[in-house]
Amino acid sequence: MFGLLGPNGSGKTTMLSIILDILKADTGSFAWFGLPGAPETRQRIGSLLETPNFYHYLSAVDNLTITSAISSRGNAEDIDRVLEIVKLSERKKSKFSTYSLGMKQRLAIGAALLGDPQVLVFDEPTNGLDPVGIAEIRELIKVLAKRGKTIIMASHLLDEVEKVCTHVAILKRGHLLTAGEVDIVLANEDIVEVSSNNLDQLLSVLEKFPGHTHIKQDGKLVQLFLPVGTARLEEINRFCFEKGITLNLLLVKKKSLETKFLELTND
Amino acid sequence: MLPLLKIEWLKIKKYPAFWWMLAIVGLTYPGVNGMTYYGYLKATTGKEITNNLAKMFLGNPFAFPETWHSVAYFSSFFILLPSILVIMLVTNEYTFRTHRQNIIDGWSRAQFITSKLFDVLIVSAIVTIVYFIVAAGFGVYADSTLTHQWTKQLQYIPLFFLQTLAQLSIAFMLGYLIKKAFIALGIFLFYYLVIENIAVGYARFKLNDIGRFLPFEISDRLIPPPVFFSRFGKDAKASYDHALSLIPGHVIYTILLTAATWLICYAVHKKRDL
Repeated sequence: MFGLLGPNGSGKTTMLSIILDILKADTGSFAWFGLPGAPETRQRIGSLLETPNFYHYLSAVDNLTITSAISSRGNAEDIDRVLEIVKLSERKKSKFSTYSLGMKQRLAIGAALLGDPQVLVFDEPTNGLDPVGIAEIRELIKVLAKRGKTIIMASHLLDEVEKVCTHVAILKRGHLLTAGEVDIVLANEDIVEVSSNNLDQLLSVLEKFPGHTHIKQDGKLVQLFLPVGTARLEEINRFCFEKGITLNLLLVKKKSLETKFLELTND
Repeated sequence: MLPLLKIEWLKIKKYPAFWWMLAIVGLTYPGVNGMTYYGYLKATTGKEITNNLAKMFLGNPFAFPETWHSVAYFSSFFILLPSILVIMLVTNEYTFRTHRQNIIDGWSRAQFITSKLFDVLIVSAIVTIVYFIVAAGFGVYADSTLTHQWTKQLQYIPLFFLQTLAQLSIAFMLGYLIKKAFIALGIFLFYYLVIENIAVGYARFKLNDIGRFLPFEISDRLIPPPVFFSRFGKDAKASYDHALSLIPGHVIYTILLTAATWLICYAVHKKRDL
């Protein structure tokens, strides 16, 4: 499960387009299944690239029939199966043009699932879906990953990548910033936010708190940064109380992922 | 090859514009030929000597076997109708972005163009079938005593098909290269109806008829104006025979031009970013 992460315009879709032979690369090469890119290798990959691309005047079934015929993946029964998975069975005879954005996206995911391919490429798969739909698709992707599918997923949504990917690459303006296991690349820090009536005193006391990486004052509160998984609120509370400070705020802010991402992608 | 054809037929048969085109062609071909036939009847019925003379000289252009030629000639003015469909079929692929999806799903770039070639072949074949039915219908209707002559001049059926294929291929290439339906259609119309007609007319008198090598005129010459257009006067007869003698050459030029049209599309599609 490989995530491709980057801000808008960083080249995620461009990269996926190149490996799917939509765009011609200026330099570099790629291989699928140890073979250079070719129609035969693309047939073995279920792909959703950027937008759902279907014939507007055809129904879901007709569109998937075309996908199936071109890719040699799946058959009539399989079309019913994937429509069931993406919850479009009831509207399978409706024209694509009558679908909502979310339904179009689901149909595209269904098309990628035809024939149960070993490799899946998803470019922002949850685009246009409502919260329930997003949760469902993430669940589906996790299930697919558990079944041993290789999934390459591009997204600008951090928590999406963090929640479902095992590996990640971060792109910025067409350059690879970093790549590796998600836990390492997007290593979180625990941030504990504390506050009391006397901020100056609080700051000077917390400076002496063992094990923290750094401290930052943010308005009326103080942020204490600790290595991941080491924030124990009772210890901090006791430590401050013993030094004569009564806290009026004490909480762990887990999501420093965005901060991390901004650090990585900002100049 | 067969799977490609099946896929394209699925795309075409469910496309409402295809049925509209077929309906309009199905009305236009009998309509325009019917009008000409009516004009012929008007000129040849009556008791005056001129009428009978006209009948004698003209022969019945809508009886067998002349009907194959006459109907092909008048019907071929309306290449515009299937051209709209062909341009829509290719620009749709851009609008729906399915030209990318087809490749992503596992077609090669060459297969994509081949699938479009099938589109044009399918439309050409269907238009030719409509022409065949209309021409045969007029043949039986105009003079049922001549039906035994139906096998003569059958060459106009493949000639009509070739002309349609050649001209629709140019329409396809415009749609393929320009990507926008209305711009492609506008250029097609303006060139086909205005520019080339002026150029051909001018070249006929000033430039030794070099205009016959212009893209549409090359295949227009496959079906020259029917014989009854030119039964008056010696020069007219000579020029009709001359036009007939040019047909074999134009068959070759047309095939070469059409092959070149498609080779350009294949070559461009191989290199193009989608």
